[in-house]
Amino acid sequence: MTGTVPAVPKKNRRVLQRMKKYWGFYLMFIPVLAFVIVFHYMPMFGIRYAFTQYKLIKAPVFVGLDQFRKLFGMNNFWNAFRNTIELSVTKLLLTTFLSVVISLLLNEMISTKGKKLAQTIIYVPHFLSWVVTASVFQLILSPTNIGLVNSILINLGIVDQGIYFLGKSEWWRFSYYLINVWHDTGWGTIIFMATLTGIDPGIYEAGSIDGAGRWQKMWYITLPALANTIITVLILNLAKIMNLFESVFVLQNDAVMETSQVLQTYVYYQTFNSGAIPDYGFTTAIGLFRSIVGMTLMLICNFASHKVRGRGIM
Amino acid sequence: MKKFLALVLVLALALSMTAIPAFAEDVEIPDKISIFIDGTVVTAENGQADFEKRWEELAEQRFGKHVDLVITQPDHAAYFDNLQQAFADPETWPDVCIMPTTYYSAYAAEGALWDMTDAWEASETKNSGRFHGDNTIEMLKIDGRLYGFSPAIGNGSVTYIKKAWLDAVGIEKVPTNWAEYTAMLDAFVNNDPDGDGQNDTYGLSAAGFIGPEAPYVNYLPEFYWDAYPSFYKDDEGVWHDGFTEEAMKGALERLHEGYEKKWLDPTTLTNGTSDVRNKFYDDTLGVFTYWAAKWATNLKTNLESNGHDGELIPIPPLAEAEPYFDRMPPAWCITEAADNPEGIFKVFIDTMLDGGDFQLLWTYGAQGWHWDTKAETVLGVTYEEGQFHMLENPNSPGTLYPANHIDPVLSLADFADPSYDHRADVVQPESIASEELFQQYSRAAQLVPTTEAMSNYNADLTTLKNTLIANVTMGELTYEQAMEKFEKDGGADWSKQIVDSLNALAK
Repeated sequence: MTGTVPAVPKKNRRVLQRMKKYWGFYLMFIPVLAFVIVFHYMPMFGIRYAFTQYKLIKAPVFVGLDQFRKLFGMNNFWNAFRNTIELSVTKLLLTTFLSVVISLLLNEMISTKGKKLAQTIIYVPHFLSWVVTASVFQLILSPTNIGLVNSILINLGIVDQGIYFLGKSEWWRFSYYLINVWHDTGWGTIIFMATLTGIDPGIYEAGSIDGAGRWQKMWYITLPALANTIITVLILNLAKIMNLFESVFVLQNDAVMETSQVLQTYVYYQTFNSGAIPDYGFTTAIGLFRSIVGMTLMLICNFASHKVRGRGIM
Repeated sequence: MKKFLALVLVLALALSMTAIPAFAEDVEIPDKISIFIDGTVVTAENGQADFEKRWEELAEQRFGKHVDLVITQPDHAAYFDNLQQAFADPETWPDVCIMPTTYYSAYAAEGALWDMTDAWEASETKNSGRFHGDNTIEMLKIDGRLYGFSPAIGNGSVTYIKKAWLDAVGIEKVPTNWAEYTAMLDAFVNNDPDGDGQNDTYGLSAAGFIGPEAPYVNYLPEFYWDAYPSFYKDDEGVWHDGFTEEAMKGALERLHEGYEKKWLDPTTLTNGTSDVRNKFYDDTLGVFTYWAAKWATNLKTNLESNGHDGELIPIPPLAEAEPYFDRMPPAWCITEAADNPEGIFKVFIDTMLDGGDFQLLWTYGAQGWHWDTKAETVLGVTYEEGQFHMLENPNSPGTLYPANHIDPVLSLADFADPSYDHRADVVQPESIASEELFQQYSRAAQLVPTTEAMSNYNADLTTLKNTLIANVTMGELTYEQAMEKFEKDGGADWSKQIVDSLNALAK
């Protein structure tokens, strides 16, 4: 058989030449590519279960959008959705704001040793698991005489009887935010501190020559330099706001379910508390819904960033 | 001729009524049995290999053929997750698994478990004359069919009272009714039973006001009495949701009173089980409803190691309360994937309580590894030749191996040879006493079948019920307000749909 071999298009040829030239880099990239494909893209095929009834021991049965209809018809689902948004957004804004404030304060510290010590102290809580954190705060916030906070409040005459911070709906969210700020704020300062150390000292010197005080330098130099980082951190974290689980799960209890139930804990209870074999189609539908909401929020923020700053992060 | 035929028929009928079905004799012995087990069976680090080797030796001796026992034992805490994953692929279904109580009826309803009713009826265990667990077997039946077997009772909780506290507050008689019980709790809260000069103690506690799984009320039975906040079947075979019944009102009022008067530890809502145990050990609580049998000894030794008096009095249920709940045990099930379920039943299930070496292995482990009878000194105690004793656990120096899968106190069959029965050697008297009291005053928990309505609504319904129980107990809502909310939030409707589906299933 005779014939002509089709010529490789010029553009492809250039790519092949580049790959040949930089083959070492491409080789090093292969493990990363494989990791991303195996752990980030292949699991996405699981999305199809959202359109099935799947109880593991039998093959999935295609049910179209039935799982979503069931989901959207459940009051508790919408309550969990609302709680997820409220808890996550408040937590995100609080921790980001406080991370910025603490970073600015740390940046103003003159003693390097003191600064490092302070940084280490505020990073430590992040390394405690949520289970340990919950146990510690259950003791600290206990309504009995072993509770540190209540003992102080009673001794100061502010309250007569201990407040059940984690057992009363009206106190649970306040306690939740407080614990989250303690756990996550220190860690959140790392990225802001990195940005702050990258600011050209010459700008501060120029500010000083122009007569700017510390407050004015912080307001007119430091904060604008941090703005991009703050927006980037907010947008990246917004994509994760639907992933709230561990911190809520370890702190919630029967008395505060209405205020504390979030989508992930809702999925957990649907899976393990029905007394029946869990329908993974239903819980996958909740997961898909979460992903869509998370992605939409991120796109909206990116769009807003484009409008306000003239560029997004994606 | 007619007389002869009649005689033949009568004889045939009589024989058919007395005969054991010819089931077990002609089954094929399997080459291999794959089992999926939790941490209640000896673990790899505690000598599972020796257990497996001994089991295979015994099987070969008994059946004249080598049977390969293939064991999969995931981490105990993640057992059910792993079991579910194994069921997700038909290729990875085990032949035999331990099915947790909560999911037993659901897996049976889905057709995943082999119906072993006929095999059980014909089994050597059932017909041995040593088996005394008919109640447990009945508990495991779904519509009269058996899908799982347990070699031991499920056991349950009894209420223990600290004798030293009773003495300290001057109470000589163990409470037998609500009035006496609450008087005792009141004294435990207000009369400084631990003698530290402060009223900083509470009557009792639990991990939440309601248990997370059936039978739900077993950790606070003196408060619930005859109330049951979930589904139960009455004597006529009709299903009800006990949460909607009048008895629940009384239970919630008692819980609220107990919470207000601090008979109940104020942190009951957020306590985990280990928190309650620790509070009991450090003398914050005087009453604890917890497992019968070996936990009686555990509680005693932990109290003593914390420097407190370890004498505990297990009490019968209060006069007003129902008997304690005998929990349904996890079941050994043969899956539908097994090629030769009859053979597996004969070799694996029917030998577990054989009254001889298999039962000894399942109860105490392998000789020479977990226990022995030779003359030696173990942890400072010298044993004579022929004296049964457990050996030191090298993974936990200073402690003896615990019993294997079958707790000797809870076993459903006696040993054929009494010299095999080593309960007196390994079980402390207080464990036996608490278990005897429990068995005398307990009733079987019911198995609730799974329905589509339950699958759809029970998770939300349980969450709502638990919230309302906590709210009423802590005084956030009155009983009437709670029931209004139950109605408004859909609880009454979900409850009705599940009850209707259960009754439809019963028909």
